[in-house]
Amino acid sequence: MKSSFDIVVAGVGGQGNLVCGRILAEGAVRRNLRPVVGDTFGASRRGGAVLTHLRIGEFDMGPLIPRNQADLILGLEPLETLRAAVKFGRQDTVVIFSELKVDTADTLGGKTEYPDIDKMTEALESISGVVFRLDPKASLDKIGSSRVLNSYMIGALAGSGKTPLNPSELRGLVGETLKPKKTNISAFDAGLKCVSELMKSKGV
Amino acid sequence: MSGNEAFARGAFEAGIRFCYSYPGTPSTEITTAIMKEAESRGIYSEWSVNEKVALEAAAGASWAGLPAICPMKSLGLNVASDFLLNLNLSGSGHGGLVIIACDDPRGHSSSNEQDSRFYAKAASVPLLEPSSYQEAKDIVPLAVEISKTHEIPVIVRSTTRLSHSRGLVELGEINDRKWEKPLKLAGNLFNIPNPHLRHRDLLEKIDKIAEEFESNPFNRFQGPEEPDLLTISSGICQKYVDEALEIVNVQNSGRLGLVTAFPIPAGLVGRTIGEARDVLFVEETDPFLEIEIGALSTVKNFGGDSRLHGKQTGVVPSYGEMNVDKTVAALRNVLGIQPRTLDEDYESKVEKARQLLVPRALTFCAGCTHRNVYWAIQKVRERLGGNLIVAGDIGCYSLGVFYNESMHTMHAMGSGIGVANGLGQLERFGLDSKVIAVAGDSTFLHACVPALVNAKHKKADLTFLILDNSTTAMTGFQKHPGSADQDSGLERVSIERIVRAIEPDTVLVGDAVKIPSTVSQIEDAVQKPGLSVIILESICRLEEQKSGWIYDDLPKIVIDPEACLGEECRICVSEFNSMGLAWDSKLERPVTLEHVCTRCGACISVCPQRAIRRSRK
Repeated sequence: MKSSFDIVVAGVGGQGNLVCGRILAEGAVRRNLRPVVGDTFGASRRGGAVLTHLRIGEFDMGPLIPRNQADLILGLEPLETLRAAVKFGRQDTVVIFSELKVDTADTLGGKTEYPDIDKMTEALESISGVVFRLDPKASLDKIGSSRVLNSYMIGALAGSGKTPLNPSELRGLVGETLKPKKTNISAFDAGLKCVSELMKSKGV
Repeated sequence: MSGNEAFARGAFEAGIRFCYSYPGTPSTEITTAIMKEAESRGIYSEWSVNEKVALEAAAGASWAGLPAICPMKSLGLNVASDFLLNLNLSGSGHGGLVIIACDDPRGHSSSNEQDSRFYAKAASVPLLEPSSYQEAKDIVPLAVEISKTHEIPVIVRSTTRLSHSRGLVELGEINDRKWEKPLKLAGNLFNIPNPHLRHRDLLEKIDKIAEEFESNPFNRFQGPEEPDLLTISSGICQKYVDEALEIVNVQNSGRLGLVTAFPIPAGLVGRTIGEARDVLFVEETDPFLEIEIGALSTVKNFGGDSRLHGKQTGVVPSYGEMNVDKTVAALRNVLGIQPRTLDEDYESKVEKARQLLVPRALTFCAGCTHRNVYWAIQKVRERLGGNLIVAGDIGCYSLGVFYNESMHTMHAMGSGIGVANGLGQLERFGLDSKVIAVAGDSTFLHACVPALVNAKHKKADLTFLILDNSTTAMTGFQKHPGSADQDSGLERVSIERIVRAIEPDTVLVGDAVKIPSTVSQIEDAVQKPGLSVIILESICRLEEQKSGWIYDDLPKIVIDPEACLGEECRICVSEFNSMGLAWDSKLERPVTLEHVCTRCGACISVCPQRAIRRSRK
């Protein structure tokens, strides 16, 4: 029996990955649980992938989630979501990811091709439990900022109801932590709504 | 709070008065956190020019009676070790001196993988390894007390996963430590003429400390009185062991978490091992506890019937970063349990998914002037028929090794110009290649000056490029003595004046934003015999953006579809690798990424067709 609920937040530098981990951790504290957050820093942030490991339990866990132990993967970027799922996911992992890609230096330059997003979604579905693929573009355009993707994704996580965290507490934390408050709350609400609709259509 | 923030809080609770440091991942945030509250708490803190100066300065404070702390990364302790192995003998005085050394297993942000605990052994000074955020905080006051009591420097060792992860910490009271006035310097602050007798005194101190460690409450045993399997671990590995034991579900096992990693409390360890059938060591990087305890078990005659397992026996991998999975595998190995096999059908699906992945390599940021310099170096190398060796150094510009292999060597701080001192003398042996050394501004001040003096004195034939972006960019934009913008009360030290004072044969100052002039400056300099130095004024775009710089007022970068050769060329995106441009496969030409482009115009001079231009507006 696992003694912690393990979340991987996968993305690339500059997407607000670390702040995302901190808000979710604070959400765990509000539930009287003990979160441990492992961040990647330093050279790994010069254009590289950023992973935040969040472990929520009643005792302090080690900061790294073991292989195939993630309960939920929150993907801020599709390629990094798949990379995280291959390493940390298992048959029943919940995957919530944004389909907005961030090119690598090589795919930008056309040296290699960015993998097809439909194929990556199929692969995610074949190795995970339920997969929610989100298209935040319309919502973010409407809100008028692409810098609030992390709030949108936290909203999606809250809406999924798959974690020990409380949606309204998370909503409050997004408002307290991220500025401008209104924009981030709108993004949170849009993410939450998007997942709720997907859940209805998937019948989960 | 993060492990690093916990160390800083521990420093406040310990009543630290001085903090001296040089930035280096994963240690930087300890000092950053101390600096944030330094003024209000009456602490003097500084980014020193390098770790050796930091430790020497901290010793000065401690000798005068003020508790001092010196956070640094693993490689920093290498720099400071020369002084440490003198200071151990003369003692740290009555103030208290704590070094926090942060190792980086796997070298996530380092040029090597090393285990700094051996410095504690080499210097015979106490070593503490906290295993949690709470212990990270609580250990600093203990370390200060040990240091004050025994007048000995104490090393606290952290690793990336403790420093850079966060959890809950219960805070203690801030110690508003008073110190004796007037300040009095400790006596006997030299080891001659009888360093061997100071060594004797040091060993007496360490024996007393070993006795105290026998009952130190940070060392914890959990489990039955006579376990069949005993794990001995330290640092964050204690957490990995907890989880691994749960996963493997080992019966009758005990775990000893050692926080006082040197000197080893041999009595405690011997009693705990007792009659255990198997002992497994789980620790980060090298088999430090394993070797120490293995040797002690012979000398002190304990654990005779136990089988010891660890990195030396191959049960635990002896390189790379530890984790729960490796610990689980080690436990299964020791207990003779078959590794759990995953469902084959599932594995093949995972493999299929893995095939889709493409790597996300590290690269220079959009508009980074380091890219321009390496591009210029490549152009000069082409003109020299490939005969150009580049010796590199530590900083963001280390990424030059990945940028079409623009840079050939990369080791310690200052090693670029040092290595070039050797290469620049090899013409007499038939080296048919010009030599360039590259260093950043903070690195120059940290460790390049002696090698530059040597190059001048020995008439080495080399060109030294100083990429001066006026900040310690890699670790988060700390100011250094050469930074253009200084905090009040600090005096700027001009890198150019230092260079000119050494009187190289040629000194040039260039603008790294402009590629054509950089190419011709480098080409001219390498052609001239003797020592040339080019100071290239550079820009860190991240720092620029952090300070609120917006590029909207500059003219946009546009691509003329008539002039662009499209697929035939692709130099701007594929070779120069501009991050502000993307290849549009439908249009078959590059397009500007407005949200990324810094409008610096570097790509303009890279395009052989002059198809990239500034817009009129």
